[in-house]
Amino acid sequence: MEYLPTLHVHRPATAEEAVAVRANHASARYLAGGTDMVVNIRRGIEQPEHLIDLSDIEELGGIQASANGLRIGAGSTLKDLADDRDIRRVYAAVSEAAESVAGPTHQSYGTVGGNLCLDTRCLYYNQSEWWRDSNDFCLKLKGNVCHVAPGGSFCFAAFSGDLAPALMVCDAEAELLGPDGRRRTPLADLYRDDGMDHLTLKAGELLVAVHLPPPDGDGGSGYAKSRVRSAIDFPLAGVAVRLGLSSGKARTLAVALTAVAPRPHLVEGSEELKGRHVDDAWLDDLRDLVRAQASPMRTTTTKPWYRRRVAGALAAKVARRIAEG
Amino acid sequence: MAKTHLTFSLNGRQRDDVVPDNMLLVDFLRETAGLTGTKIGCDGGECGACTVLVDGSPRHSCLTLAVTMQNRDVETVESLAENGRLSAIQRAFHEQLGAQCGFCTPGMIMAAEGLLRENPSPSADDIRQGMASNICRCTGYVKIIAAVQTAAAELGK
Amino acid sequence: MNETRPVAASIGVPTPLVDGPDKVSGRARFAADYGFRETLVGRVRRSPAAHARIKRIDTSKAEILAGVRAVVTGADVAASYGVLPIAMNEHALAKERVRYRGEPVAAVAAVDVETAAKALDLIEIEYEALPAYFSAAAARAGDALRLHDDKPGNIERDVHFELGDVAGQLAMADLVREETYRNAEVCQVQSEPHAVFAEYDAERDRLTVRPSTQVPYYVHLMLARTMNMNQSRIRVIKPHIGGGFGCRTETLNTELICGLLARKAGGAVRLVSSREETFVTHRGRPETDTRLRIGMMKDGRITAVECEVVQRGGAYSGYGIVTILYAGSLIYALYDIENVKYDGYRVLTNTPPCGAMRGHGTVNTRFAFESLLDAMAHELGLDPFEVRRKNLIQAPTMTANGLLVNSYGIPQCLDWAEKASGWRERKGRLGPNRGLGMACSHYVSGASRPKHWTGEPHATVNLKVDFDGSVTILTGAAEIGQGSSTVLAQCVAETLDVDFGRIRVIASDSAMTPKDNGSYSSRVTYMVGNAAIEAAQKLRGILTEAAARKLEVRSQDVECLGETYRGGSQDQGLSFEDVVGEALVDSGTITVKGTYSTRPESHGGKKYRGAAIGGTMAFSYAAQVVEVSVDPDTGEITVEKVWVAHDCGKALNPLAVEGQVEGSVWMGLGQAMSEETRYHDGLAITGNMLDYRVPTIVESPPIEVGLIECADPYGPFGAKEAGEGSLSGFLPAMTNAVADAIGVRATELPLTPERLLGLLERTPRGRAAA
Repeated sequence: MEYLPTLHVHRPATAEEAVAVRANHASARYLAGGTDMVVNIRRGIEQPEHLIDLSDIEELGGIQASANGLRIGAGSTLKDLADDRDIRRVYAAVSEAAESVAGPTHQSYGTVGGNLCLDTRCLYYNQSEWWRDSNDFCLKLKGNVCHVAPGGSFCFAAFSGDLAPALMVCDAEAELLGPDGRRRTPLADLYRDDGMDHLTLKAGELLVAVHLPPPDGDGGSGYAKSRVRSAIDFPLAGVAVRLGLSSGKARTLAVALTAVAPRPHLVEGSEELKGRHVDDAWLDDLRDLVRAQASPMRTTTTKPWYRRRVAGALAAKVARRIAEG
Repeated sequence: MAKTHLTFSLNGRQRDDVVPDNMLLVDFLRETAGLTGTKIGCDGGECGACTVLVDGSPRHSCLTLAVTMQNRDVETVESLAENGRLSAIQRAFHEQLGAQCGFCTPGMIMAAEGLLRENPSPSADDIRQGMASNICRCTGYVKIIAAVQTAAAELGK
Repeated sequence: MNETRPVAASIGVPTPLVDGPDKVSGRARFAADYGFRETLVGRVRRSPAAHARIKRIDTSKAEILAGVRAVVTGADVAASYGVLPIAMNEHALAKERVRYRGEPVAAVAAVDVETAAKALDLIEIEYEALPAYFSAAAARAGDALRLHDDKPGNIERDVHFELGDVAGQLAMADLVREETYRNAEVCQVQSEPHAVFAEYDAERDRLTVRPSTQVPYYVHLMLARTMNMNQSRIRVIKPHIGGGFGCRTETLNTELICGLLARKAGGAVRLVSSREETFVTHRGRPETDTRLRIGMMKDGRITAVECEVVQRGGAYSGYGIVTILYAGSLIYALYDIENVKYDGYRVLTNTPPCGAMRGHGTVNTRFAFESLLDAMAHELGLDPFEVRRKNLIQAPTMTANGLLVNSYGIPQCLDWAEKASGWRERKGRLGPNRGLGMACSHYVSGASRPKHWTGEPHATVNLKVDFDGSVTILTGAAEIGQGSSTVLAQCVAETLDVDFGRIRVIASDSAMTPKDNGSYSSRVTYMVGNAAIEAAQKLRGILTEAAARKLEVRSQDVECLGETYRGGSQDQGLSFEDVVGEALVDSGTITVKGTYSTRPESHGGKKYRGAAIGGTMAFSYAAQVVEVSVDPDTGEITVEKVWVAHDCGKALNPLAVEGQVEGSVWMGLGQAMSEETRYHDGLAITGNMLDYRVPTIVESPPIEVGLIECADPYGPFGAKEAGEGSLSGFLPAMTNAVADAIGVRATELPLTPERLLGLLERTPRGRAAA
């Protein structure tokens, strides 16, 4: 039998119940698909005494369309997302991101909430307990040293979820339930630039759903990721672009990056690209803009310079694809 | 140690067990139920050797806690043969040499089973995309793709 | 009258594996599938230090923990072990010193996994750090501490030979080019993590072990040695094996540890390694630097070769001496080359020990050779196929370093690959960022001198026939997924002319089957196949004699028509069962034995120390063409298709041979494109299947296989090697294709998107392939 720490699994029937269980147990963690959480438990990275299995909670499932846009339950699987025709048609970046996560088996039970709340990743962190112990642990867990940037007190572990940037360029909002009730916040605000503590969730808060506003006008969106293999790998860099066009000119533009920092983030300064013709020069400028704001650190075996360069290249590729329809 | 009374369907039979909360589904299958066809090939979700179907969808049994299978329907490679005869997918993997060492095979076959239930006539590219969570180290996948196509043709008759 | 139906041929017929139904049904039992109830759980405490003296080990707290049944350390180990009798410098559990991070130091057997984990933590170990060396260069530096006292300069073995007139022939050449190549260390990553199940019968002092090994006999030997146990008290049974690719061609420490734990606990112990532990146990292909110089005439003829190889071997010898010898000796036997100078250095470092990975020793040298050949052909304006054709061997021949080449299918391989890929029509006309590349390769059909020389034949097969008319093959050959049991059944069925279904194979149980050295260096089909044929011929003789007695004719007049024996065309004939019944009269159960020994002329050269390595009865040959497309923005390479011709002598089971060739080419693809073990101060940072990137099905290309049958005069039905020879050709064929596509030549593998983009950015635009 594989070694797992002793733990107690709770199976609440409602989101409120889940939040209540969490409030009662300091070390409790939510468990959705488990594609990331259980790996981390097996490696001793997470050692929760209580796990709250969310798979019975009806409210977390389902994708509903309304005049206000789309509500995606956090328990929806990545496959649900990839298979949804409305999403594919209107929010292409989101379905492209969903079907690029790991592999098809992971997608069939990995959830939207799990991918959005994915722990940050680093070569020196996603290792076995024996490994981390042999390496004097690290800043993010049990240790005092960052092996990526020794001497510093900042953790550079990279957020590596694919969905977040795609949802962010589509102006998604997160619906959260906590001990103090429900709230909605722009998805981008769910994250902060700190590899040790990258989620702005308040104590005990549960991501319940993601809301997408109705799309506005022409253009489209797309997502591309860099990885060495064509499946299973986490992104070395991931780029989502939403580009609205009006007679060949960029009317709206939003670009978001993942896997190049402790949080997914929207690229700033895209204003200057608006109103211009989307041609080779424009794509070059977009590429440069993205490269300037992608700042990966040595958290993967692939070197930072490549991840930065490829982030720019991917942004230009996706934008070109959208522009060429 | 916390334990849970677990009721679920395993290969079409109803099970009723008291299971430690920290037991992985793969360990339950192999050690409690004696179904050793499902394999452990990595330290978590990286190879697909442990793939089973849960409510008809492929899932890593090595990343699934057994107690979360309450009231669900789990199928392993042992469920496929009927009256001792190999299923079409199993037969195709055997006859086309989709299995060399055979260690990734049960997971690979369950991934194929899940794929063909959803898409009965997949192209080579559909097979590549649909089975990309499963690593094989022997075949270069060439004969695995052939086996899935052969099985699809056989099932489509 | 008995039905005289001809029995379907076995040889040359695509035959699904005899153990296939077990694998696809989930019934096949691998080592980790044994012993769940009443079995103890074994776990290993591993060194966190790369190089240290063990100052103190205190296991007392672990020993008194409830549920712990045994704790073992280096003190319980009777002797060192190693696959080469001349280099047994490893211990199952470290004694006094640890030399790599992850080396086993102590182990426990306990009633459950929680207790075992707790017990490991209770073992107190103090280390005193020693300087550690993670690169060959650091370990070779003048002031470096010796890892092993008897290895000055941390050189496990250096090899030097110069045959012919290298300097003179280089001076004669129209073009001389030199390049340095680097191959990253790679690992087998067979699907099944290492596992052992050991049962000790304390009452009778007997040990039964089921290891996930390619070499049950070597495991048997090393168990006896390290446990100081009489060999007769040990039984090794090979279960189903989830691949090996060479990492299991030597005894692994966990196999010995499990035996030690079982004996000390007086019971059954199951020791299953995690994937990370399997990576750290390693035995992969070493990081290699190859400096190569080739002299060539304007017409493409090779005049001379100079080659220097440095391998980072890891902390212990393993197969290292053989690896560094192969890397030099198999420069020969692919092309007609006389003059070669070789300097090889196998270096001991504080990293997990390397071993004999598929294509053992030849792969990285071949990458360098075929890459430089391609670059020089380009420079001289010659077609790469024509350059190879200028340097063909005329078989039979003996190479300058004493290797026997009896059959040589390179010309046919070249023709097939050139035609199938549409080389002549398509080369240079594929449009931007797309290209074709080619390369050749070869490999041995088993080493002609075994590692443990005992004077016994290389292979022995027993056949048993009894009252039920079944034919049982008893063989020590280790079926590891390559289809060895199937091919032996085919050899016997064909020779005896009986129904395939009549034959059963019992493989690799030391209590029942004859000893066999194991599945490595592509020896099984050639050697064990020949032994099986000899046994079947003897059996056929016995059956023919019996038929003659019963039919009252002379034995030379007995006709065997499939399973019917008759004494003349008018005779109604005897069934196989009738003949067996007659043969059993007075003799009882029939057991016959066939053996195989290599011929002395194949034992390799004598011109330098170690020249025997490379000696084989037959070489396989391969040529392949790879088509790639490249994305210059991201550096990503897509392998569109591979065409590979492999000269296997005779495809006894074409289905399995194709599978072997496809698997070899694809494993080459992994090494060429994405696979690489890396260390952080000696700590395996890619010890999982996310960071060590075995290709997925998505990026794995179609592979078209052409089977070339240049029969070997001594091979079983003409057969020779099939499972390794086409691996090494993929690496240079791929990089040559990339050069064709975008004009840059990679000298460092794997050629990840990062490396290729770096190369593109360092290369001035518009520069043609050098």
